[in-house]
Amino acid sequence: MASVKISHITKSFGDNPVLKEFTDTFRDGEFVTLLGPSGCGKTTMLRIIAGFEKPTSGELYLDDRLVSGGKTFIPPEKRAIGMVFQSYAVWPHMNVFDNVAYPLAIRHTAKSEIRNSVDRVLDIVHLKQYAERFPNQLSGGQQQRVALARALVAAPGLLLLDEPLSNLDAKLRESMRFEIKEIQKKTGITVVYVTHDQTEAMAMSDRIFLINRGVVQQSGPPEDIYNRPANQFVADFLGKVDFFKGIAEDGRIVIPSMEGQVLPYKGSLRGNVDVAIRPENILFQQDGEIRGTLEAHYYLGDVDDCRVKVGSETVRVIADGYAHASLDSRKEVRMHVRDMMVFKDDGTLDEILMIRT
Amino acid sequence: MKDHSSLHREKTPVFTKCGLAALFLIGVLLLSAGLGGRQIMEADGFSSENAYRVIYALSGHVNAVYRSHLKPDTDALEENDRAGVFSAVRTLAVSSFESQCENAGKDAENAILLSPGSEDETALKLLYAAYLVSGPKINSSARKAIASANSPEFRRRLLRCAADDTLPIPSEAESTVGDLVGEEKKAALMQIYFVSSGSAGGNSAEIAGEIKKGVRDREQQLHAFRMAALGEVSFFRQIIAGHSKTVVLLGIILMFDAVLLAFLMLSEKTWRFDVKWIFILLIVDFLLYFQMLPVVYMVFRSFFPEGSFSLGVFQRLYTDPMNLEALKNTLIASFATMIFGTAIAFPLAFLVGRTNLYGRKFFRSLFVITYMVPPYVGAMAWLRLMNPNVGTVNLWLRTLFGLGDSPGPLNVYTLPGMIWVLTTFYYPYAFITISRAMEKMDPSLEEAGRVSGASPLKTLFTVTLPMMMPSLIGGALLVFISAASCYGIPSIVGIPGNVNTVTTRIVEYNGQSQVKMNDATALAVFLMAVALIVLFISDVVLARKQYITVSGKSVRPSIVDLRRWRIPLTVMVSLFAVVMVVIPFATILLTSLKGDIGKSVLDSGNFTLNNWISIYTRNETISCLRNSLLFAACTATAGLVIACVMSYLMQRTRIRGRTIPNFLITLGSGTPSVVIALGLIMTMRGSFGLDIYNTAWIMIIAYLIKYQMMGMRTVVSAMSQIHVSLEECSQVSGAGWLTTMRRVTGPLIFPSIAAGWFLIFIPSFYELSMTALLYSSSTKTIGFQLYEYWTNTSQSMSCAMAFGILLIVVVLNFILGRLTKGEFSI
Repeated sequence: MASVKISHITKSFGDNPVLKEFTDTFRDGEFVTLLGPSGCGKTTMLRIIAGFEKPTSGELYLDDRLVSGGKTFIPPEKRAIGMVFQSYAVWPHMNVFDNVAYPLAIRHTAKSEIRNSVDRVLDIVHLKQYAERFPNQLSGGQQQRVALARALVAAPGLLLLDEPLSNLDAKLRESMRFEIKEIQKKTGITVVYVTHDQTEAMAMSDRIFLINRGVVQQSGPPEDIYNRPANQFVADFLGKVDFFKGIAEDGRIVIPSMEGQVLPYKGSLRGNVDVAIRPENILFQQDGEIRGTLEAHYYLGDVDDCRVKVGSETVRVIADGYAHASLDSRKEVRMHVRDMMVFKDDGTLDEILMIRT
Repeated sequence: MKDHSSLHREKTPVFTKCGLAALFLIGVLLLSAGLGGRQIMEADGFSSENAYRVIYALSGHVNAVYRSHLKPDTDALEENDRAGVFSAVRTLAVSSFESQCENAGKDAENAILLSPGSEDETALKLLYAAYLVSGPKINSSARKAIASANSPEFRRRLLRCAADDTLPIPSEAESTVGDLVGEEKKAALMQIYFVSSGSAGGNSAEIAGEIKKGVRDREQQLHAFRMAALGEVSFFRQIIAGHSKTVVLLGIILMFDAVLLAFLMLSEKTWRFDVKWIFILLIVDFLLYFQMLPVVYMVFRSFFPEGSFSLGVFQRLYTDPMNLEALKNTLIASFATMIFGTAIAFPLAFLVGRTNLYGRKFFRSLFVITYMVPPYVGAMAWLRLMNPNVGTVNLWLRTLFGLGDSPGPLNVYTLPGMIWVLTTFYYPYAFITISRAMEKMDPSLEEAGRVSGASPLKTLFTVTLPMMMPSLIGGALLVFISAASCYGIPSIVGIPGNVNTVTTRIVEYNGQSQVKMNDATALAVFLMAVALIVLFISDVVLARKQYITVSGKSVRPSIVDLRRWRIPLTVMVSLFAVVMVVIPFATILLTSLKGDIGKSVLDSGNFTLNNWISIYTRNETISCLRNSLLFAACTATAGLVIACVMSYLMQRTRIRGRTIPNFLITLGSGTPSVVIALGLIMTMRGSFGLDIYNTAWIMIIAYLIKYQMMGMRTVVSAMSQIHVSLEECSQVSGAGWLTTMRRVTGPLIFPSIAAGWFLIFIPSFYELSMTALLYSSSTKTIGFQLYEYWTNTSQSMSCAMAFGILLIVVVLNFILGRLTKGEFSI
C-alpha cells in the first residue's frame, strides 16, 4: 500500500542531535518497529514521517513522493496517513462516531459513505455498539480502539503508532497487540510502530530498528536481532544477558574472574573480549565445562531461576522448572554453555551496564 | 470529647449525642436568655443596649468616688454635723431628680425610704449622680480656685456649710455661691464639694460626657443614672440585657452548629465526634456571621424595607431614572467589555501561547502584569490621554488632522470611553484564563486533527476552539462580572461625565436618606444576583463541561509556525502592547514629574520632583500607607491561616463537611466588593451584636471575604501536588506530625504559602471599591487617599502616588518571584 523511504535523515533540537543519519526503506505492507529506550529518537523519527517535525537534513519519501527534504515539505494533513497517539487523543467534545468520522468529514465524503466506512472500522475494533458514547464514558482500552478506528477509517496506506499500548494494563495490552497485528494482516497496511517494550516489538514486527542515542544500532527480523546482536547494547537491550570480561585465544576464551575457567570458542576475535551469555543458554550438565556453587534459586513455576557462583562472578541460569526437585539438594554444579555472543572489548560495556542499573 | 471516643469506644454514641444535645441546649438557653434580656431592656425602658454599658461604667465611678471621698469626708464629721449634712443631702437628692423629671424624683424618694440601712449612702450617691447628669454650674476660674484649695479640710468645711446656714462659706466658694440662699445655696455648696471630690477621684466631667453620648434620651439618661447610683443593675443583668443581641446571635450560632454537626454525623453514619469539625465550624461560623448575614440581611431589607413585604424597592430600579440609567450603563459597559476583552484576549492568547511569535514570553508577562495593577491607575492614565480638552492623544490627533482647538475628537468621559478603559483593564482576566487552558491542552489532540487531513486553520475551528469553549466562556464571564463590579474606573472616568453605574450609585447613596439607602440596597441585590448567576455558570455548568485534556506526559504545546506572518504579527502585538501597557504607565510617570500639568515634561523648568517629595512627606500619606500595609498584612495573614487549615482539611482528610467552608469562601470571592461592603455597613453597626463600623476590623474582614479565596486556591492546589506518601514516609521514618510538617510538608508548600500571602496582600493593599464605603478618618488607605487626591487636589501629585503604588506592587511581585523561585510571580 505505501512504502517509506528514509534517506540520511538527521534531526537536531538546537545543538542537541536526537537522530543521526537514519537511512532505510520500509517496504509496502511491512510491520516495522522503532525500538529503544526513552529519549533515543524513535518518536522523533515517527513524527518526521507524520510531518510534525521537519528533518534538519535528509529526505523522506512516501511512495516515492518526496514529502520532507530540501525545500519540500508536505504538511501532515496532505500525507494521507493514519496515526494513533500515546494519549489516544480522542476528542472529548465529539462522540465515538464523530471522532471516527472526522477524517472522512474533512474530505467532504458523502454522508452515506461516511456511515458505511465508520460502521466498518468500528466493527473491526469491536466498538459498534458504542458509536453514540462520548469518550469520558469509555475505558482506556475502548478509547484506544476509537483512536485506532479513526486512524484506519480513511484507508491510509501507512499507519503510525506511537506507543499505543503503554497506557493500558498488561492483559489488555496483550490482546490489543494481537488485534493490531490481525488488522494489519487483514488490511495489508504498512505500519510503523514505536515502542520501548521489547516484547511488543518481538511479537509484532517484521523488522525491528533498535535505536540508541539517535543512532540505529541494528535492524532486522526479531530472531536476527535477538540471536545475532551487532553490539553489546543490542545484546543487553533484548532479553536477559550476563556479561563477562574474557581473553580470547585460539579455540578458547579464558575468563579470569571465573578462576580462569575456559569456554570453547571458534570465532576469530583475539585478545580482550566481552562475553555475553543468555541465562537460558546455560544448561546444568554432569559433564559441563564450568564448575560452580549453587547459591540460590527461585522457583517460578515454568522455570527455575538460579544464581551460581563461579569464581568471583555470579552467573544466572534459567533451568527447566521440572528440574527443581533435583536442584534442591545439590551445592556443587557443572554447567554447559550452549551458546554465547562474543564482542570485542571496546570499553562501551561499563557504560551500558551503568545505564541498565 | 476526643478522649471519650478513644477511651470508651462503645459508649461514644451516647457521649456524642449528649454533647450535641448539650450544645443545642446551650444554644437554646442563650437564645432565650438573649430574648429575655430584650424583655428586661424594654421593661427598664431603654431603647439601646448601650444603656447597660453606661450604667455599668457609671456605677463603678460613683462607687469609687464614694469610697475614696464621700464616705471618708462624711465619716470625719461630728455626729451633729453629719446628721445635718445627710438631711440636706436627702432633700437635695430628691429635689434635684425632681427638677429633672417627674417620675425620677418619686423613684428617688422611694428608693431612699425603701433602703433604710444604707439610706445616707444612697442619698449621697444619688445626689452625686444627679450632679453628673446636670453637670457643674460653676465657671472655670472658680473651678480652678476650688481645685487648688482641694483638701479634706476644705471639703468637710463645705459639707458643714451645706448643713448649717449660719457658718461662713470658704472664700474659694464665694464667687459661685454669691447671693444664693436656702436650698439653692446648699445645692451650690454640694456642687462645689462634688467638683473638688470628683476632680480628685477622676475626671467626672469626661465620664459624664461619655455617658451622655451612650444614652441620648434625657428620660432614659436619668433613669440610667438612678439605676447606677442605686446599684440596681446586677452584673448578670448587665451581661444579659446589655448584650442581648450578641447573646441571641451566639445562641443561634450554637444551635446551628449543633444541627450541622448532627447532620454531618448522620451523613457519616457514625456518632463519633471528630476534632476537625471544630475547625470547620469555626470557619463556617465566621463566614456565616461576617459574610452571609450581611448579604442575607441586605436581601431581606430590600424585600421588607419598612418591616413589611414590598417590591417597591425593586420597582424603583426601573421607575427611578437615576437607577435605571445606572443599570443600563452597567449592563452595556460590562457586556461590551466582555465582548471586546474576549475578542482581544483569545487571539492574543493563541499568538503568545501557541505560535512562534517573537518575544512570546516577554509579551506574556507584559499582558499579565496589568492584572496586578489597580484599576483606578489605568483610569487615571487614560483620563490624562483622552481628556476631551487637554488629553495627549486628542492633542496629537488635532495636530495630525488639523482639527483646530475644539475639544475632542476623543472623549473619555462617556460610556464608550469607560468601555475602552474597562477593556484595557479587564482583557487580561480573559487572557490568563484562556491561555492557561490553551497551553495545557494535549497537543496530540490537534495533531490527530492534522493527521486526519485537517489544515491548521480547520483544526483550530473543529478541534481547538470547541475544546476551548468552556474556558473561553468562563474567561468572558469573569470579564463581565469584574467590569460590572468595578468601582475604580467608573468613579474616575464615569462620574465627571455623569455616566453613573451601579457601583458609583451605591457608593453615592450610602449614608444618605432611607430612600437612597433602599435604592443602594436594591442595586446591590441586583448586582449580586448577576454575580451569582455568573458564579453558577462558571463554577457549576462549565466545570462539568470542562474537558480533561491534560495528558499524563509533561505537555509541550505544539507551536504553530507563523511563517511570513511572523514579523507582521509581532509588530502588531508590539503596537498593542505599547498602546495598552507602555503608554498608560508612561503617562502616569511623566505626569508625576510635571510642574505645570498642561505643558510637556521636556519644556524647560517643567521637570520637577516636587510632586513626589511633597506627597511622600505628608503625614497623611504616610499614615494612609501605613494603614494600607497593616490592613493588607493582617488580611493576608488571617487569610493564610484559613487557607492552611482548609488545604489540610481538603487534601489530607476525608472529613464530612470540609467543602462547606470552601463553598462559602468561593461565594464570598464571587460577591461584588460593593455588595460585601454595603452589607457589612448595614449589619456591623451594633444591630447584630458587634459594632465595628468605622474601625480597621470591618475593612480587614471585607478584604478577607473578597480575597482569601486566591490564597486558599494556591495553597490547596500546592497541597494536592504533594503526594501523601511523602508525609507517610516521614512518619515511618520516625518523625511526628509536627516534625513532618516542619521538615517535609512545610518546605514543600512554602513557595505556595508565600504566593498565597502575596496574592491576598497585593489586592488588599490597593483596594478601593470597599474602602470607599468603609473608610473612616482614621482608617483611610492609600488607594482611597489617591482617589481623593485625584478628584479634589492635584493630578500630578496623585500620579506620583499612583506610580509609587505601581512600584510597590512590582517590587512585591519581584520578591514573590524570588521567594518562590519564579513559580508564582507574574
